[in-house]
Amino acid sequence: MKNFIKTGIFLIIFLIMFHYLFSILWLSRTPISSFYDEPDDSLDVVYVGASNAYAHFNAPLAYNLYGFTTGFMSTDSVPFTLIKYLIKEAKKYQNPKLYVVDIATLIYDYDGIEEGAIRKSIDSMKFSLNRIDAINDVLKATNTKKEECINYYFSFLKYHNKWNEIDYSSYQNPVYLYKGYFFSSYTIAVEKQKEYIWNDDVVKLPKKNYNDLIKLIEYIKDEDTQVLFVIPKRFFNENDVKMLNYATNIIEESGLQLINFNKLNDLDIDFSHDFYNYAHLNIFGATKYTLYFSKYLNDNYDLIDHRGDKKYNSWNDEYERFKKSFYNYFKYDFDELLSK
Amino acid sequence: MVLTTLIFAIFCIITLLIYFVVPKKIQWIILFVSSFIFLFYNNLTIGTICQAVTILLTTYFSSILIEKSNHKKRYLLLGIGIILGLLIYLKYTNLFLVSFNHILGMLHSSFRFSFVKRNSLIGVSYYSLIMISYLIDIYRGAIKPQKNIFKLGLFMSYFPILTSGPFIRYKDIESDLYGRHKFNYERMRSGLIRILWGLFKILVISERLGYFIDTVWGNLEVYSGAFSIIAILFFPLQLYTNFSGSIDIIMGISEIIGINLPENFNTPFFSKTVTELWRRWHITLGAWLKDYIFYPLQKSDFMQKIGKICKNKFGKKIGKKIPLYLSMLLMWILIGAWHGGLYTFIIGSGILQFIFIFLEDTLQPISKKINKKLGIKEDVFSYKLYQIVRTYLLFSFAMIFFRAGSVSNAISMITNVFKFKFSVLSDGVIYMAGLDRSNFKVLIISLFILFVVQLLKRSGSVREKLFNQNIVFRWAIIYILIFSIIIFGCYGPGYDSTTFIYRQF
Repeated sequence: MKNFIKTGIFLIIFLIMFHYLFSILWLSRTPISSFYDEPDDSLDVVYVGASNAYAHFNAPLAYNLYGFTTGFMSTDSVPFTLIKYLIKEAKKYQNPKLYVVDIATLIYDYDGIEEGAIRKSIDSMKFSLNRIDAINDVLKATNTKKEECINYYFSFLKYHNKWNEIDYSSYQNPVYLYKGYFFSSYTIAVEKQKEYIWNDDVVKLPKKNYNDLIKLIEYIKDEDTQVLFVIPKRFFNENDVKMLNYATNIIEESGLQLINFNKLNDLDIDFSHDFYNYAHLNIFGATKYTLYFSKYLNDNYDLIDHRGDKKYNSWNDEYERFKKSFYNYFKYDFDELLSK
Repeated sequence: MVLTTLIFAIFCIITLLIYFVVPKKIQWIILFVSSFIFLFYNNLTIGTICQAVTILLTTYFSSILIEKSNHKKRYLLLGIGIILGLLIYLKYTNLFLVSFNHILGMLHSSFRFSFVKRNSLIGVSYYSLIMISYLIDIYRGAIKPQKNIFKLGLFMSYFPILTSGPFIRYKDIESDLYGRHKFNYERMRSGLIRILWGLFKILVISERLGYFIDTVWGNLEVYSGAFSIIAILFFPLQLYTNFSGSIDIIMGISEIIGINLPENFNTPFFSKTVTELWRRWHITLGAWLKDYIFYPLQKSDFMQKIGKICKNKFGKKIGKKIPLYLSMLLMWILIGAWHGGLYTFIIGSGILQFIFIFLEDTLQPISKKINKKLGIKEDVFSYKLYQIVRTYLLFSFAMIFFRAGSVSNAISMITNVFKFKFSVLSDGVIYMAGLDRSNFKVLIISLFILFVVQLLKRSGSVREKLFNQNIVFRWAIIYILIFSIIIFGCYGPGYDSTTFIYRQF
């Protein structure tokens, strides 16, 4: 008995050390980390999807305008099959009024999805059965070799070799800035989306992608989850547009809501000024988008205004931090931009 | 299934859990089933099944016929012939084809045999020789044949040893293998520490050495001078840490089960002669070859006749030695051949080792006389250190051929040594051959730890010394060992070199 107690204590100490060690080694925090940072049941909206979510929607700004809180279950290029699992993961910690689901990655070819895109999503999720299901599903979808699967279940197999990148800053616990919003001050002129492209022509989705969309819709309906699908304002090629039109029809036929921001003229996004690359809005574009979309959410969903509630002070702090960063970059006040 | 993978760890944990839960009388069946799963893991074909079944049935029926029949020798030779024939067919076909092609070239023929790919089961060299010694032991009356074919199957395929040995003898392992074992905490603790030490040797040291060695050997036209010298000197260490690390894992698993296996290494790099080194390196192979090849050969009528002729021609002293050296030469060629179907193995781990041992034996009296005349003391530390360094250098030289893959590669490597530039050692260029500065630091510290442990081993079991310490120190050492493996080990998707050097033999 004494030996078993000793073994138990040995293992507990080992697990504590192991956990601490890998929180240092696995430093590449994603916006999903900012989701986990939020107190339980404190988010009103959860934005799920790829980088368009956190590059386009400035959550502290939306809070400052209307008082509702938005968290991101989003990382770069999330394979669409993982959306369902990200919603499941969010439900474990939050009880939001609304899930906003960005469907931009629905058109991605699974054979072209890189390991990094899978890892950023999977490795950001906490260890759970849901994470294992997500791994199984995404690896099956991407035809990953069976013997490689174990490296996804146990992410330390991949990241243990980051030991020679550790420095003093590794021991600090970095806070994800602006509640997950990605602030880009950079501007490039993007080829303007040709108007005729956004007609109603359709082309079928590839079978895997179609199945994933259907499974997601079934899940949403089974779980009675309030979801708003969105197609982000960005450049898409003609075939992508046709596939997204096809997806739009399926979503709308199933009785769910979708907003295609590319078809909204009053959004006033300028392709020569409001992007930092062909797919992502910079701070100016994101401000226009957030002003429009946060108003829409506030007007159409019964979202609570938490402004003035001390428990939500961190949202004010992050908004102030964001404004300070804006000033540092552009040498004028963010409020000036808002007033234009 | 590679010894250092998670899948092997899971396989072992499941096997051990079932082994200690089931009734003790059927424990051996669990080992038998696990061993066959291991044997055919990822390689279950009709061909591989036939290989295993042929060797098992041949051994089984030969052993019974040897015991019962009056024509014991006939059945012994038949059994050995079939097993050896299959082994040669599976492992050495290409070696013969190379030879035939060479002869055809000499005869100016344009015809060449193309090489063949044989799908042999893991550990075929091990269990073929184990079964041969089993038959010989029955023939000699040293053991009784195992009447239960499944129990014999377990002896043939006991899974931990299939990858890297050690060579086991039936009489040494019979009672442990089929015996009933209770779970023992002390045994488990001791076995796990040994497994961890094996993992440290392989994942932290051997694989890391491999990056440098493989980079230099893979680019002989690029890397020369200091790179070549370091790669040559590193290779015996890589081989040792890889092979002895595998043995540590195997011994550790067996210790947890309750099966005692013979030791295969005894700090070989502290040896003062090549002869001594081979008494401490792959001990069980050496002992096997001595018992089943060398001594029978030396005592054979053929060698006795040669001895007589030589005594008449060269005198008693030399005449006595010639059959001995001839038997030794044959044994060393076989050791080389056992390592694989390439001439470089025969040269590196066979003929060159024989030459060193032959020279040590014949030149020793002369060397002693010279030392005496020059007043060189042989029992002082500096002389012993010189002998240890000399032995390591000779062994490293022979291992050039072992590693080379072809004689021309080996010659290129040797000539590269003389293109030496000192600047490489000071300007940081040395860190461009597969190991950066921080990895080099980890390697040097790990090699120092290995050296300290080997020193401690000379005065008794290191694990016993550890277990005698207070709990805080003991646990601290174990945690350091575990986390060194987890953090500094070369495994996972960032690393792809998880093949075992000895696994291929």
